[in-house]
Amino acid sequence: MLEAAIEAVHLGRKFDNVWGLRDASFLAKNHELTVLVGPNGAGKTTTIRILTTVLKPSKGHARVLGMDVLKDYEKIRRRIAYLPQDYSVPWDVTPEEYITWNLVIRGWSLYDAKDKAREWLNLFEISNIKDKPCRTLSGGERRRVAVAAALATNADVIFLDEPTAGLDPEIKQVVWRSIREIVSSGASILLTTHDMREAQILADKVVLINNGVTVIEGEPKELINSLPYKYKIVIGKSKFINLDDLGSFIDLGDRVILYTKTRREAINLVEEIDPNVKIHSMGYVELEDAYLYLITKGENFGSSNEN
Amino acid sequence: MGLVTRIKRIIGIAYLESRWIKRQPLWIFQGIIGSIGFILILFAWGHLEALKNLIAAYVIAGAWSQGLNIVAQAIGWSRIGREYERYVASPVTLADYFIGIILATSPFMLISLIPATILAIIVGIDLYSFLLLLMLIPIALTIGAFLSLSIILRIKNPTNISAITNPLNTFTIVLPPVYYPLTIVPPSLRIICLIMPSVSLVEIGRWIILHKTACHFAYPLLIIIIWLIVLTILLSRRLKWGLE
Repeated sequence: MLEAAIEAVHLGRKFDNVWGLRDASFLAKNHELTVLVGPNGAGKTTTIRILTTVLKPSKGHARVLGMDVLKDYEKIRRRIAYLPQDYSVPWDVTPEEYITWNLVIRGWSLYDAKDKAREWLNLFEISNIKDKPCRTLSGGERRRVAVAAALATNADVIFLDEPTAGLDPEIKQVVWRSIREIVSSGASILLTTHDMREAQILADKVVLINNGVTVIEGEPKELINSLPYKYKIVIGKSKFINLDDLGSFIDLGDRVILYTKTRREAINLVEEIDPNVKIHSMGYVELEDAYLYLITKGENFGSSNEN
Repeated sequence: MGLVTRIKRIIGIAYLESRWIKRQPLWIFQGIIGSIGFILILFAWGHLEALKNLIAAYVIAGAWSQGLNIVAQAIGWSRIGREYERYVASPVTLADYFIGIILATSPFMLISLIPATILAIIVGIDLYSFLLLLMLIPIALTIGAFLSLSIILRIKNPTNISAITNPLNTFTIVLPPVYYPLTIVPPSLRIICLIMPSVSLVEIGRWIILHKTACHFAYPLLIIIIWLIVLTILLSRRLKWGLE
């Protein structure tokens, strides 16, 4: 059985004379959810556009379901679905029409397509607006319609470029549940996000791209473990603390995130901090911390006297 | 099975891309009123002879405008809104997409096709000639769309596509001898006018239904063939179905 749903090898793409993507290499396993993360302009969307056969790579090669994106693009297109970034559903269609007819385009019968559309409208809690023109819906509702249309396709590999951008937390959870259910049912999904909490909760694997180059790939836990810290404390900045005495930190203006390697170190820090300094939160480091550390190669982590 | 699937794809695209009609039926109504008004004006000034000339002009101008203005706008906006990319990353082919868009925008052509058909019956154009004239529709539509797309797809970040296609339509339909006969133009300038594909197409149309033209039939025919080749080459460099 095919192990890799997506395989990118030294993938690069030049726009005029500028490299939009320099060297992306990663592997997304079949029946898994892989999340691409990285700063704006890192090359996430370019990677997805190459994998969906929209763009031609300037260097390297990529395979989707074992098929080459350049040679077998027609076969690939029959087995994928794609939701582009910033995509908005056409204004004059209704949600039910949009999902239904997109399925008809993919070969479904009108009857089955309508059934499926209603099922997804229910799942995404938008069946009450199924007959309203999309121009009258909120941005979040339109996004849900677009995501539902992509997920309803039963495609083998689904590419979602920032599917939950602009959605409320409770709606995000509805979308997350559907995405995980689709993966459990056997599809493979590659999605991009700027929400590290989303990546940490959803992903089987995270691929970090920065400046067009793959920095690291692995399970969220592996990325978190790659951070030399285990705990973080968020404190208010005041005249009572000297940042140079605090080890590794990220300065947030009137607040500071402190990082420690051990629990003992964290407790000691809290005990030593002047009682006038407000402690906002304490906890384990998360994917977001690992992301910041990996993107800045640790340089953002203050004048650490531990490193 | 393959044909049924292809038909589903075309109908699906046509359906989704034609929903604007629900919101803007007055556009069609305005077009019909305009066509009827134009017929009355021409009849008042030139009687049946003017209306005979109008038949070819309506058929060609209708198809030309649909391609140059409406189809090109639909494709241009689809690229900006990334709908185009979504279709590329699906089983849809460029031919399915193009035909779907043409079907979706065809109500615009009916505005001139219906009056042209009624006029043909009134002035007594024979059915064979009229059907032959209708065969120019896909050519006019294709050249119009290709010309417009060759231009708008070369403009980086176009903010308003209709701001390009509307003037282009006026320039190619209203100004040159499309609604008025080429014979009005001095003989030395006729060949220059024929370089405009809309003029050549309507001259072929007039030759088909009225059996007379202002120049040798071979000139407009040759010009149209050249335009088709040149525009296909120009457009193929810009309008790609993925792997751009």
